Order: sequence, then C-alpha cells, then structure tokens
Amino acid sequence: MLVAAFGAIGRVIFWFPGPSKISIQGGSIVIQLIFFLLIGAALLSSLVFLGRRGGARAQGDPRALVEARKALDALQAGLLPEELVHRIFAKEDLSYVVSASAPKRVHDLFIAERKKIALSWIDQVRSQVSNLRRFHTDAARSYAQIGLRTEFQLACHFASLLVACRALSAAIYLGGPYAAPQMVDATAAAAARICAISEQSLAFLNPVQLKPFASGSLPS
Amino acid sequence: MASLSPKRMDVEQAREDLCRRTLSDIRRPLDRLIYLASMRDYNTGIYHHDGLASRFTSEVACEALADCHREAFRELVLCPLDELVSQLDAYRSSTHTSPREFLTAWGRLEPYRVAVPVQADPLSADFLFSNFKIALAILESQMDSRPAGLAA
Repeated sequence: MLVAAFGAIGRVIFWFPGPSKISIQGGSIVIQLIFFLLIGAALLSSLVFLGRRGGARAQGDPRALVEARKALDALQAGLLPEELVHRIFAKEDLSYVVSASAPKRVHDLFIAERKKIALSWIDQVRSQVSNLRRFHTDAARSYAQIGLRTEFQLACHFASLLVACRALSAAIYLGGPYAAPQMVDATAAAAARICAISEQSLAFLNPVQLKPFASGSLPS
Repeated sequence: MASLSPKRMDVEQAREDLCRRTLSDIRRPLDRLIYLASMRDYNTGIYHHDGLASRFTSEVACEALADCHREAFRELVLCPLDELVSQLDAYRSSTHTSPREFLTAWGRLEPYRVAVPVQADPLSADFLFSNFKIALAILESQMDSRPAGLAA
C-alpha cells in the first residue's frame, strides 16, 4: 500500500510542472528530490506515530481499571479523610508551638515540616486525580454506565481540580502551610466529588456482597 | 456483624481478647504502637503472640495484632502535636533513660520509622515522622530551658 502511495505521489509530482518551466534540468531535479525526501520523512513519522499508538493500551484494558481503583482507594482512604486533612492543616498545632515559647529554630522547623507535608499532600492528590482522569479518558466508556452529560461534568471537574491543585501548591509554596485554608477545604471537597462520581464507574469492581445461603436453600 | 466470615469473627474475638488482657494496660497510643511493632518479626512482617495463638490460631493472632497496630498508628497520626509531645515525654520517663540520652538516640536513630504498620499510608507515615521530629525538637528546647539540675 505504501509503495502504491509513493507511486501515486510520484506521478502527481512528476506531472506537476514545477516552479520553473524555464529549466527542467539541475535545479528542478534537486527540488523534486527535496520534495520526495520531505514526503518520505512525513510518511516515516506517521508510521512511527501509528506504531507507538498501537503499543498503547487497548480500551478496556483491565490494568487501567485496576490502576483507577487503586487511585480511588488511595484518595478515599489515604488522602481525603477529613480528619487527616484537618490534622495536617490544623492551626492548633501552630498555636501550641507558639505558646510553648519554643525557640525560633523549632518554630521554623515546624513551619518547614508542615509545608513539606502540605505540598506532598497536594502533589499526591493531583497525581491520583490525574490517574483517575486518564482512566476516564481512556477506558470509562468501555465499561461504565455513565452518560455523556456526566462525562462532560466530570471533565470540567477534573480540569478545575487540577488547576486548583496547582494554585494551592503555589499559595502554600509562597505563603506557607496556613496560607490558604479555604482553598484546602475546597480542593478536598472537589476531589471527594470526583471520587464519588468515579466510584459509580468502578462500582462493578467491588466485591459482591453475597447473602449467605439460607438453610434449606441448597438442593439436597 | 452478621455478614462477617467465620475467620473474620475469630479475628474480632482475638482482637477483643488482646484489648482486654493486654492493651487495656497500655493506655497511650505511642506505647501501644511501640509494643505492637515489637511483636512483629522484622524479617517476615508477621506478628507473633504465643498466648493469643494458643487461644486462637497463629494466623488469627497475627491479623488481630496487625489490626490493633493499625488502629494505634491511626490514633497517633490524628493526635494533636501537644499530645504527641506529652506522650513522648511520658514514654521517655517510662524507659528510665536520661532525657539527653533519649533525645539523642531518638534524633539519630529515628526508631519510630520501624514502628509503623506495613500497610500504612505513605502520607500518614510521613506526617507522623514529621510530627515526631518536631516533638523531639520541642522536648529538647524544653530541656535546654530547664535549670541544669532538673534536666537530668
């Protein structure tokens, strides 16, 4: 097929009169050669691109589902529990450090440590949300009973949450761990909403709660 | 609890047994965390408790200990910094080591790093380590501010 394509392109190019009708020797041959080379390069890049796409996961790859489930679990169990988020950003701890009349180095250590944890929290939330988004982009439609409207809403949620994560990260990086408490709450709430919607898509992966056999229900 | 499998029910019973006989005497979550971590074989990650294993099975005892370990870890992660500082100070007193020696050893060896459950969430573990670091710094500063005679 490629050979035929090259032949057709070649015929078109040879039929094309070229930039200069004055000279059909020398310059025009070089121009045609460059033209061929450019087309060859373009076809080669297309082949490489198509080849790489072929290596990507097929839609409905079970690994994508498992990774999405892991991301959802990491968010729900590890990163978004309200009490943990509250603890990380709790101002009571700062008040305690101040009231304990600790020296400046202890105060600085506290702020630096909390900042590190806060940035790590945002980074992990963003990373897991990106994993979920990838799942929804690649595979959700193969499996999920999820409507187009919900998909669109989800796409908007993902985009706004990822932007919010970047903004929060910048705020904390510049202003410290207590710079944007409302943004923290809003980000956690938005991530929780995404988890709730993603949960619907992945609900069928949850172990089925089988009812125990009632006595006499088994055939004798 | 009607949906629990028999094995899970055994684990629950073993857990209750462990809480009633042993852990009820260890009130502070920090002490419980260290005690339960010490019941774990560092080479295999399996918890051992002969008394519990004789009443149930080794497997059930291991799961019950792991459950309690996770719970102690969670309690400690969620406890405010001032509580962690007082728990650490109380634990230090119970070991009968001098404050300076204790703080130096904990600052250098960071033994709390091996006391967390295997399945602990990485962020929670990092948060706890970070809190220990701060708590140690606070205790050290408190010790420095005390008169020399009282600090020993």
